[in-house]
Amino acid sequence: MDPIDERGLRELLVESDDLQSDAMRTATRGLDDYVEAVLDTRERSGSRDPGGQWPGWSRVAAVTGLAGAGAVLAAWPAAADPARDVQALQTAASLENLAVATYKTALTLPFIGGADANAVVKAFAEKTMAQHIEHGQAFNGAVAKLGGKAQNDPNAKYAAVVKQTVPTIKGAGDVVALAIALEDVAAQTYTKNVSQVSTPELRQLFASVAGVESQHKAILLAVKALIDGGAPQLIALPPDAAKLPDAAGGVGFPDAFFPTEKASPVEEGAVK
Amino acid sequence: MSTDKRPEMQISERELTAMTRDLDELHESTFPGVRTLLDEFSANLAHITRGHPTGRRGFLLGVGGVTTLGMAAACSSNDTGSSTTAAPAAPASTTAAATYEGDLKVVALAAALENLAVTAYTGALDAAGKGTLGTVPPAIGVFVQTAMKQHQDHAAAWNAVLSKAGKPTISDAPLSITADQVKALGAAKSVPDVAKLALDLENAAAQTYTFAAANVTDTGGIMTAATIQPVEAMHAAILNFVLGQYPVPDAFIGVDKAVKPDALLPK
Repeated sequence: MDPIDERGLRELLVESDDLQSDAMRTATRGLDDYVEAVLDTRERSGSRDPGGQWPGWSRVAAVTGLAGAGAVLAAWPAAADPARDVQALQTAASLENLAVATYKTALTLPFIGGADANAVVKAFAEKTMAQHIEHGQAFNGAVAKLGGKAQNDPNAKYAAVVKQTVPTIKGAGDVVALAIALEDVAAQTYTKNVSQVSTPELRQLFASVAGVESQHKAILLAVKALIDGGAPQLIALPPDAAKLPDAAGGVGFPDAFFPTEKASPVEEGAVK
Repeated sequence: MSTDKRPEMQISERELTAMTRDLDELHESTFPGVRTLLDEFSANLAHITRGHPTGRRGFLLGVGGVTTLGMAAACSSNDTGSSTTAAPAAPASTTAAATYEGDLKVVALAAALENLAVTAYTGALDAAGKGTLGTVPPAIGVFVQTAMKQHQDHAAAWNAVLSKAGKPTISDAPLSITADQVKALGAAKSVPDVAKLALDLENAAAQTYTFAAANVTDTGGIMTAATIQPVEAMHAAILNFVLGQYPVPDAFIGVDKAVKPDALLPK
């Protein structure tokens, strides 16, 4: 297979956008369900939901019946709390904001977005930045609907890391390494968030974004291996598989179980 | 774009293999954490299947859990068959869908889906060995072996949960989609054919775990699904790339291609 040209790549991106729009609609429906459940709960008085603290309670109770619903309440994740959900969403938005800013900066560099850039790497950076914008909008959209304040600032902890790293960047490999670090923190954070938030809809949202950040990480790991190996010319779509080093086949997915030790605490990026 | 020759590589196979080894060590270091999750999940499920709901943190009877108590009692004398290598202590290896209810049905579904992926990759290696797929680039061979190993780890993890909950483990792929997948694998004549098949399976797995993360009720089970989902998504991204397709086509992983629990077949 010959590597595709720029036009072919753009066509692929358009097809990808169509697919993404479908996925976005699904994610938005999930968020709407979540928000509706929270608002319903807040409006009800005298419900079996003590203190109105359990978003999604009404629907869960409806399908489990009283006995089952009691069991659900008794064993609901200990951290379930709408305020905590908002914090998690705000922290997620802060990570997305930082990712967007970082890719935006990277695209101003000649070896990522300029004349010296590999076309596939440039297109990937542009598309990935757009996906992070969507993630940020989704997280902040949910925050706003829940009455919280949108997080429009980048994550302070990792913004400092980026600020410290940018002056040391010498080439595409350095940028990719920084991007891997940010994608990894985001993916690990959302993976952990899945068990920390209080409704199925919100769990699904965080899982669905975690998977995408992990995909960014996988591709970046493969790209970095080729750059570090002095073979950036093999970063093509499709790659010339026959020329790839053997070990490149597994370098993009190092763990059988995605780690979470680098996950940001729920409150790390919350609006004060 | 890719006209350069292999000798221009500045990194040796040995160095890359060493990198891979480092990554393997990283993987091994993450496994104990997963084991802790699984042990807690198993303990919760074991309490439920024995008819003694526990006050232990995090277990939710949920929609199916209440039913599980009765079902476990009804099925406990019907477990027959052989154990699997993944969980030798398992009481049996039947695959009757009715044996599993609630969270356990999702666990059984996950084990079956992982086994299907292992079967597909094993079949691909077998076909490659026979020359059916033409020339297979070494990097593709490494991809298949690495992904297959991870799916084996996932299947072993889910089967360990079943085993510790006193339920039969799943050693095969009793799913409504299996026959079609096996047929498609048999018809594959090239690496791209197999890659497309694998991509469909990886996407289905990633979406199934996304669905599971939302629908499993136990915190340990939720977290286990959450830590496996990104890995399947990563496999899919690399396969997309190999096929010349945009590697991260969606901003959100959907659930429309998820394999639902009712796909688990009775024997």
